[in-house]
Amino acid sequence: MAITRRQFIKRTGLATAGAFLGPSFFRNPFLRQAFAANLDGLDRYFVVIFLDGGNDGLNTVTPLADGSSGTLRTAYHAARSSLRISVSDLTPGAIGTDLNSGTPLALHPGLIGLKHLWDLGALSVIQGCGDPASLNVLSHELSRNVWQTGNPAGDPGYLSGWVGRYLAAGYGSGEVPGVNIGTSIAPEFAQNSTNVLAIRRVADFGFPYDGDYPSDLSFKRDAFFDLANEAIAAVQPTLRYVGNTAGATLSASESYPPLSDMYAADRPSFNQMYDGLGSGFAQDLREVAKIIYGVESGVMSVNARSFELSNGGYDTHTDQGTTGAYDLHNQLHHEVGDAVEAFYNDCADMGVANKLCIVIWSEFARRIQQNGSGTDHGSQGPVFVIGGPVGSGGALHGGLYGNHPNINDAALNDDGNTVYSQALGDPFRSTDIRDVYGTLLKHWLGIADPSSLLPVDGGDPNSYWTAPNFDLGFLT
Amino acid sequence: MPSNPGAMLSATEAPHLLRRTGFSAPPDRVKELLGPPALTRAAAADLILGARRTRFKPHGRSIENVHDKWIRHMIRTKNPLQERLVLFWHDHFATVDNKQPRVMSNQNGLLRQFCLGNFKDFVKAINKDAAMIEFLDTVRNHRELPNENYARELQELFTLGVKDYNGNPNYAQEDVVQIARAFTGWAYDTRGAAVFDTDRHDYTIDYPLRGPKVIYKTRGGFGPGGQNYAPTAADEGAPEIDAVIDIIFDHIDSDGRKTVARHIAGKLFIYLAQPYPKRPAQPALKPVVDELLADSNFDTTWSISALIKAIIINDAFYATDASAPFLGTDLKSIKWPVDYVVSTLRLLKMKLKGSTQFVNGGSYDQIRDQLTNMGQTLLQPPSVFGWNWETAWISSAALLARAAFARDLTTARGGGTTCFHPEKLIDVRNLTDPNAILMAVTDVLGVTDQLTPAEQAKLIKYLTDNGANSSLDLTDYDTRNSKLNGLFCLVLQSPVYQLH
Repeated sequence: MAITRRQFIKRTGLATAGAFLGPSFFRNPFLRQAFAANLDGLDRYFVVIFLDGGNDGLNTVTPLADGSSGTLRTAYHAARSSLRISVSDLTPGAIGTDLNSGTPLALHPGLIGLKHLWDLGALSVIQGCGDPASLNVLSHELSRNVWQTGNPAGDPGYLSGWVGRYLAAGYGSGEVPGVNIGTSIAPEFAQNSTNVLAIRRVADFGFPYDGDYPSDLSFKRDAFFDLANEAIAAVQPTLRYVGNTAGATLSASESYPPLSDMYAADRPSFNQMYDGLGSGFAQDLREVAKIIYGVESGVMSVNARSFELSNGGYDTHTDQGTTGAYDLHNQLHHEVGDAVEAFYNDCADMGVANKLCIVIWSEFARRIQQNGSGTDHGSQGPVFVIGGPVGSGGALHGGLYGNHPNINDAALNDDGNTVYSQALGDPFRSTDIRDVYGTLLKHWLGIADPSSLLPVDGGDPNSYWTAPNFDLGFLT
Repeated sequence: MPSNPGAMLSATEAPHLLRRTGFSAPPDRVKELLGPPALTRAAAADLILGARRTRFKPHGRSIENVHDKWIRHMIRTKNPLQERLVLFWHDHFATVDNKQPRVMSNQNGLLRQFCLGNFKDFVKAINKDAAMIEFLDTVRNHRELPNENYARELQELFTLGVKDYNGNPNYAQEDVVQIARAFTGWAYDTRGAAVFDTDRHDYTIDYPLRGPKVIYKTRGGFGPGGQNYAPTAADEGAPEIDAVIDIIFDHIDSDGRKTVARHIAGKLFIYLAQPYPKRPAQPALKPVVDELLADSNFDTTWSISALIKAIIINDAFYATDASAPFLGTDLKSIKWPVDYVVSTLRLLKMKLKGSTQFVNGGSYDQIRDQLTNMGQTLLQPPSVFGWNWETAWISSAALLARAAFARDLTTARGGGTTCFHPEKLIDVRNLTDPNAILMAVTDVLGVTDQLTPAEQAKLIKYLTDNGANSSLDLTDYDTRNSKLNGLFCLVLQSPVYQLH
């Protein structure tokens, strides 16, 4: 069994984590000051949640009625013979009216947790998000790649993740500004200038020493660190990457594991609340809460402020279901909606809800027309942005943004998908994902000019993104 | 870089060839390649490709059981190339079926049967593989509304790729829709054999609005008329799925080369030789890929074995060799977790224990759990795209999992009954000099040529407790179990050992 940091300190007689740190790893403790604004300076947190598999946007933000002059509920009714959500089931989740089409909209009943946040003014729903590149082949991989890099044109200057480019711009090689909950680094966090940790559970993040010979432990530790530092200094880039990760991992393995007990002891009711939700996703989100609590408590060497986690299972080709307790899509919505609400309340109780911004995205949406008991791959869908100081400056303005895609049969393309269009005169004009990212970068992440981190593509201004708008309005 | 079959294998090339085509470079195998008699690249390639192929299938009552038997087979096999390719094809034709261990076992046998065979026949067999029929919804592909899942991945992942080496799309969504029609009506029986039901099949006469079964009207070099995979009523039905494959394999890209051949050659080259990101069709690879096709005729014979030989006699393969100690080259590759585990067990001559295949060392973690923590659960690829390779294998969580595996392997447990026996690997009675001990250990682990002098100095520092001890008595139980085992553990945990 791996020893904890406390045991390690006790056994080796060393008092502080700082004493462990190898000389070249934190070569320059003031490095951070050399960089422009970052989340430490802004005292903010950023959480990215990925709905893996292509979430059905139409059964996430759903037409509740045709409205004054619209036809979207009628079209929805026709396209979703067995997968449609009834008006009575949708009504509790009503979130206002689509400005363009006049369609009253509602959240899926499984997202009741998000509806509660909407009622607080802490939820923005950005409709019709997509990009010009993913829609021709509707491939998970291609589309994910575009969303994660923020680079539909495949420009080789933008192959890292869009969040990764932000981290690389604001942090140095000795820092650990991000944590992904899981066993691997999410591609939107990919970069090679600073360190992102992958942690499944902070409690289990201790270094696995062989504890049989306690007198040998500090020699083992020093040797591992020495080898990491040698690799950090290597010419070979892959080796350097492994060395950086090894060094950051060893350091974090000494500072992060105690966070779990600390959180459980100090926040027992919230700790239990996540367990009560019964999903792995809720437990993943609790790990983020533990780290934020550690940062807020000033735990040494815990400075991560950007997080990523995901929930899988959204590729609902079959057995998608509607609102039943055992219906697949409903379960998925509950997992995320309930956990995010709990996490928001946890953060509010810690006093950090106004320092928090959560983004929920999926690689694409699903076909308008259902197919059997499920749905095939489709085009644009909604993105959720949650948190922030509500309503004042530097703040999230909860509400509906963008346009509901036109799901009328006559408006669909040959494949039965809604059409991505950037034509300024198009009443159903799509929201380019780069406008969403740009607004986040500019108004939450402190990048004055996000165009340095997001490639514009040329081409037909009706189809491509040639006129960036980093002021979508959901954050100011 | 040219093909160079007659070049003699050098002392750094021989271990490189073994590492990249098998599980590590055990000293006895390196000697075999270096001779005397010394071997040319072509002779070494023939030796490796000529190893006796097995027809193993990992039968098991549960998916975990199938997994463990597969791992055990990799640890034992005398044909590591075959197993490295089964891994490649498992990633390529990534399939998950937790409920039916038998169909996954059968698929694993199929991968082993075709891994060095004819690629076109391979894809036709995959069309009818029960696990694939289940996983990508062919079994749910009905005439009323054809399900596009398999038709899409067949083109995007298994054969053509989304774009060619010039960045032009290889197919359109319309081609996905039309190919989905061909696969309507297929399912599998209780024995796992593919069965065709005419009542569920999309016949042109029943769906006049869908038109004839024409694909590649805009792509593929067939001209605006495209290609009809069922031109007459007699061609319709069960033969359609083979006809579709024949047309896909005739598809040519925007500069006139066979699209499938380039896609597969590029991906295998990335796997074995040069670790570009997994996503193939990168313009930089075009020259070497075309050379491989010219050398192997893979674009006409579809012989995977010939393609692999072309790769491992090419200068581009040896440009990535383990030239000590990793100076300059951008082309080192991260070992897959399963390669890390299997190679290490083979080098240490260790076996997993018990019916659940655990590693001794106090944790008693099952090997499947350890691999899961490292980011690779075989038979459970994260999706049809398989795993992300190279630096994506490396994260803090994955490195801790590798470190835990190394610790469990090398720790001394149970008063001498541990399954780790370093005294069987090195001469503990006569070795006392720290430098000699280090050399012996890195020789066993095949990394002597890959450590810098500075790295060796750090390991000596560990071995001597910062220089306090100038010699070690490895016959002493505690010295051996702490320092010698600790040294093995550190090398296995070191950044250098994660690469090959």
